[in-house]
Amino acid sequence: MNSSRTRIAASVAGIAALALIATGCSTGGGEGGGDDKVTLSITTFGTMGVDANYEQYMEENPNVTIEATNLEGGGAARDDAYAKIAAGTGLSDIVAIEEGWLGTIPDDSFVDLRDYGIEDVKDSWLDWKYDQGTTTDGKVIGAGLDIGPQGLCYRGDLFEAAGLPSERTEVAEYFGGDDATWDRFFEVGQEYVDNSGKAFYHSPRFFWNSFVNQQEEGYYKKDGETLNIEGNDVLKDQFTKIVEAENDELGAGLPGWEVGPEAKAGDFAVYMCPSWMLGIVQGYYDEGTTDSGWDFADVLPGGAANWGGAFLGVAESSEHKEEAAKLALWLAAPEQQAASFELAGPFPSTPEGQELVADTTSAFFNDAPVGEIFAARSEGVIAQVKGPEDSNIQDNVFGPVFDRVSQGEVTDPDEAWDEAMELLDQIVG
Amino acid sequence: MTTSTLGRPARSELTFRQKVSRFDYTFSPFLYVAPFFVLFALIGVFPIAYTLNVSLYDWHLLEGQGEFVGLANYVSILSDPFFWNAFGNTVSIFLLSAIPQLVIATGIAALLDQAIRGKTFWRMSILLPYIVAPVAVTVIFLQIFNQYHGPIAGLLELFGLEPIRWAFDVLPSHIAIATMVNWRWTGYNALLLLAAMQAVPRDVYESAALDGANKIRRFWSITIPMIRPTLIFVVITATIGGLQIFTEPRLFDGRTYGGSDRQFQTIVLYLYELAFPRRDFGQASATAWILFLIIVLVGLISYAITRAIRTADVKPARISAASIGAQQGES
Repeated sequence: MNSSRTRIAASVAGIAALALIATGCSTGGGEGGGDDKVTLSITTFGTMGVDANYEQYMEENPNVTIEATNLEGGGAARDDAYAKIAAGTGLSDIVAIEEGWLGTIPDDSFVDLRDYGIEDVKDSWLDWKYDQGTTTDGKVIGAGLDIGPQGLCYRGDLFEAAGLPSERTEVAEYFGGDDATWDRFFEVGQEYVDNSGKAFYHSPRFFWNSFVNQQEEGYYKKDGETLNIEGNDVLKDQFTKIVEAENDELGAGLPGWEVGPEAKAGDFAVYMCPSWMLGIVQGYYDEGTTDSGWDFADVLPGGAANWGGAFLGVAESSEHKEEAAKLALWLAAPEQQAASFELAGPFPSTPEGQELVADTTSAFFNDAPVGEIFAARSEGVIAQVKGPEDSNIQDNVFGPVFDRVSQGEVTDPDEAWDEAMELLDQIVG
Repeated sequence: MTTSTLGRPARSELTFRQKVSRFDYTFSPFLYVAPFFVLFALIGVFPIAYTLNVSLYDWHLLEGQGEFVGLANYVSILSDPFFWNAFGNTVSIFLLSAIPQLVIATGIAALLDQAIRGKTFWRMSILLPYIVAPVAVTVIFLQIFNQYHGPIAGLLELFGLEPIRWAFDVLPSHIAIATMVNWRWTGYNALLLLAAMQAVPRDVYESAALDGANKIRRFWSITIPMIRPTLIFVVITATIGGLQIFTEPRLFDGRTYGGSDRQFQTIVLYLYELAFPRRDFGQASATAWILFLIIVLVGLISYAITRAIRTADVKPARISAASIGAQQGES
């Protein structure tokens, strides 16, 4: 009984204990020596496709064994990293970090990749991606992996059944092509809903996130510190449009993630697809599926923008920093980024990697030329400055309000906006 | 000096062997129990005390210790509507799980206490859910409680009823989570109660039967009072477990910390949210201590209530007291 009473405290100790076990696993050999056996641990999340490259690396470097862990999503990866940084131990040698919380990571928990030669290959990245991984005092703590140009995933079969164009260039045109606007997006959605009697999208969350990422300044001002939400008419206008679209039943009232069965059942027809989302949509189906009806169009309402993207960092606590940095930089190099893209969809953050995948098509997405489309969708795009609570605001301020809206609990846009502002005050204020 | 040494016979001086033997006699028991206390101090007392320390500071998860703020963290937790929401959810899920669980467990135990065929089979069967990892249980129940494509949704649709929004509405989500808890713990508690029931001397029943007491009367007037110590134990462990509930609501919607709108955010999930995504370790620790105090309080209350269960003419048998001791040792 005593032991169960102390479970709270024990859980804290438990985290530390797990961390100990984790570090225990990563001891393999001495530092630096080329022939010593080394085990490198790496933690990734979602469908990053980095795993496409592990075997090749181990073949080329027989002294290295890669121990990979993949967490379910960015949120889980963030909490995991935080806990281990706080414990001061337990981080994998290489950790995948998401753009949304990169800014919250203490600089001293990851090594400065400049000490391991990242500056020699600096030019291979898009400038802004390289800069994102650089701290204010010039340390480079993350080697860029993917960027998040966005296109529109849509169900060709359902579009056709609803009397809309279904061929991907026609679809892009129908939404307005290069001049696609959100108003037009909601119009087409209304048409789909009227014709099919079914919802257009699964949850308004993604379309909101996408819109926020399109703005020059998102939840934060450019300084990355000042909040940019209250009194922001641009955000509020879009918020109002989304609430109204929900009132018109464009949304299926589904949760933001894990909607595989609903996708298969055809409960919705479009999905906002940053490059890394392709793997998630595909993951809702059995491997090798090609007749799901999903297709991918070169269009984004409101214009091109970046949403998300990851980095690889090498933990300061790693016992094999040299080898880990070597592997991290190799994984973030153009050829490997290209292989990741071909496996799972995250679009390379290096121009050379993008060229390598220019001809890549996706069998799942009806043979859509995904490489070409993402190249088009990323033209001129620069990622927005993220503040410390960016992912928190996205998940815990606007997320819940949109869920309430999509469940019909709130129908008045002003009321919903006020709820969001109240949450914002409580969570960030 | 020399004379006095000589004058004293060495009678009271113990030989080495004797010393060892005496040491053994006096200290060995302490050594035997020491591992428990050392472990308890390491993973019990120390973290609790350390948590108390953290809770008095402005403590950022990643940046570490800040200023000493006294009870400010406690004040801000107690004035946070999210805390009270989590408190309400925890109590609600606790009541929805503890009450049916204890009633059903007592019922099952009473049934298994009868002369039935294949006793061992039935007893093992009710313990099976307890062996399954809670994560696995949750994953299975998630399918059952899927609002759109779960079997319950299918049944409701068959009868033309509106689907239940298991993951969105407050009460349904609590019922779903309580169901998982009950699934896991009912059998375990039933076994504990069964053990207690078996320890009730049969002759008490026999004389009651001779006095004309029917089965139900015997159950209420003999069984229940006689298993009181075990009942207290079961109620208290259920209380502790119930107030600390985490796994089930955490996994019920793995992307959130207890529902997108905190519909089923329990106190521990609230704590988790403070500690990790929000990185306020000081407030999270304060929450841990508040939870600890709540548990102590509720434990005392449930002890008092269980004690109040009327003791019939029969004194609580010593056997039951012994059996509870044994169970505690095992748990």
